[in-house]
Amino acid sequence: MPTLPNTAQDDAAGRNAASLRALVQSSGLSQVVWCGNELGSQSVETVSSGWTELDKELPGSGWPRRSVTEVLTAQPSVVEWRLLAPGLGPIIEAGGQIVVIGPPRNPHLPGLTHMGLNDRQLVWIKADVPSERLWTTEQLIKSNSAGAIIAWLPKARPDQLRRLQVCSQGCEAPVFLCRPEVAQHESSAAPLRVQASAGLDWELNVQILKRRGPQQGHSLVLASVPGGLASVLTPRLRRPSSLITPEVPHVVGRPATAFRPAHVAA
Amino acid sequence: MLWVALLLPSGPHTSPLDDQLRGLSMYALQYSPRTAIVENAVVVELEASIRLFGGKRTLRDRIVAEVHALGVEQVAWSSTSLAALACARGGHENGIKGALTTLLDPLPMETLAAVKPHLTTLTQLGCRTLGDIRALPRGGISRRFDKQLLTALDQAYGLRPEAHNWVEAPEVFKARLELMSRVDSAPALLFGARRLLLQMCGWLAARNAGTTSFCLRWVHDAMRARDAGDGGELTVRTAEPMRDVEHLCRLLAEHLAKVELAAPAGDLELEALDVHPLEELSRSLLPDPVQAGESLTLVLERVAARLGAEKVVRPVVVEDHRLEWMAQWQPAPEPLPRKRARSSRFPQPSFILSEPLRLSMRGDKPMYQGVLQLLAGPHRVEGGWWQRLDNGGEEYTGNVARDYWVAQSPHCGVLWVFQQRLAGDQTAWYLHGAFA
Repeated sequence: MPTLPNTAQDDAAGRNAASLRALVQSSGLSQVVWCGNELGSQSVETVSSGWTELDKELPGSGWPRRSVTEVLTAQPSVVEWRLLAPGLGPIIEAGGQIVVIGPPRNPHLPGLTHMGLNDRQLVWIKADVPSERLWTTEQLIKSNSAGAIIAWLPKARPDQLRRLQVCSQGCEAPVFLCRPEVAQHESSAAPLRVQASAGLDWELNVQILKRRGPQQGHSLVLASVPGGLASVLTPRLRRPSSLITPEVPHVVGRPATAFRPAHVAA
Repeated sequence: MLWVALLLPSGPHTSPLDDQLRGLSMYALQYSPRTAIVENAVVVELEASIRLFGGKRTLRDRIVAEVHALGVEQVAWSSTSLAALACARGGHENGIKGALTTLLDPLPMETLAAVKPHLTTLTQLGCRTLGDIRALPRGGISRRFDKQLLTALDQAYGLRPEAHNWVEAPEVFKARLELMSRVDSAPALLFGARRLLLQMCGWLAARNAGTTSFCLRWVHDAMRARDAGDGGELTVRTAEPMRDVEHLCRLLAEHLAKVELAAPAGDLELEALDVHPLEELSRSLLPDPVQAGESLTLVLERVAARLGAEKVVRPVVVEDHRLEWMAQWQPAPEPLPRKRARSSRFPQPSFILSEPLRLSMRGDKPMYQGVLQLLAGPHRVEGGWWQRLDNGGEEYTGNVARDYWVAQSPHCGVLWVFQQRLAGDQTAWYLHGAFA
């Protein structure tokens, strides 16, 4: 065994880490020894997220089963289906039912069929009160009978999430809890937290806030054209950011250009 | 032969009611059709059912756990029905281990009902136990007492065959229960209702059937307000034929939680309304890894019982171009149409607003959290003049004439907005959906 460096010299530490890795690999220990800078252990059951780039970053390369996954967005109902639908395809093919609990807007099936869902395998539970949403989510998780559970829980507290996480250990379906972005500052029992936002040029920006493994350095950019729009986009429309004229920053109710000279003069 | 005796509590001068015995026998019918009511107790012959219910130990544990809820005081097992009954009265549960003579001889002689008429004489003769009576000369017993005593004694010891009038499951199930005390709140009715549900499920099992709807009625106590009425009823429906006590009980609990009693209730009545044949699936030799919890239908049923049936819905696609009528949502248990509608190949949003939201304008551009950039369009949707809609007595047509556009918003992704002509030359922009 090489000894660990007691001084903080980078090259010495690097050499030590390299020799440790070589030792671990040569002796066949790599299956059982987990190094801190690797992704989490392979023993977690997962279902592929449908995005190759995202799968590489997720522990076990996919959305985890038997635990909850948090999806944080700045606003509800902006990117959820675009992010999650590619991973639901195999579940639907296997006959699993997709249960949607308390979405902030009405799901529209004709648009969802473009993403691979169908009318026989979708259940919408219109739970409006936070306690109803939590109860329904918990019942569905406990029953372990749905193919995938997507719940919008804007007002869940950390202890309630912990309860769901404990229940979900017996649930084979992936459970997605969609929450507002501000929740990233609260602690959460969910082992995987993903923040998603929509980019201008038909893309999703995905940042993994928490996972089993090292912190993710950069956010991922995933190309995504929603709802069958791919067939109607012209080459010019494939880059909408070039069409949008930069907005002049303004003060509420009054154009800032009229205000600025006075400010500069003062 | 394996007999079990189920003994209901009774005082020295009171015997259990006929209703109670009848209900208990309905429950017992699920284990074996060889169920009889003997001397104010229910006896069941279970020899042939042992394997079906997973062995003697499992069967015993299940029966002991369930009959407690039915108010049974003592359960006893033996190889003849009268011996099982004697053991139950004597307070012994296990009458199988060892020879019958050694088990029965030390029991007090009152445990056999045929002894009752001659109790005084026998006591004066110095008899205390069944063994004491058996020690008397047989000729003397048959001359001095009646024939029944000797017959019962022989039957209990297995020397003579027993004959029983088997209980038959009636065509309809309707059971009544007098509550032990007046019940003020509806959820508290569940305790009594569970007892009736156990009976109903026993009856359903005996008939190889399941129920899709049952009705719980309660009768108000005599001391009630004048406007309270005689009682109330609650009908519970299930999506598929069912005889699982736990599920029916939870379903009933969800429904009862919403009921408010007008006056304290004194009696309960349960009736199975719709009964359908139920085929049970064969059990697998290997443990089934797929389904560990309850099925999705049952969970949704329970959720619908608490939130309301219109809150748990499934989509039905309709061939219509107007966004509002493209997909209808119906309660989950209702059957979906067999013929599926053709799906549209044109782009459609994945979320829509229940009412289009009118957008404010900056110049000629609509605004929603910033100025919207219109990307693709127009997609003209026009039609619906044939549809008459009724909004609280006011009739209007479902006619729409809209130009849909795909719009890009800097903050809320890709949106589905439309322009509509208003009176005169004016137009207005509305937000209708999001490509989320």
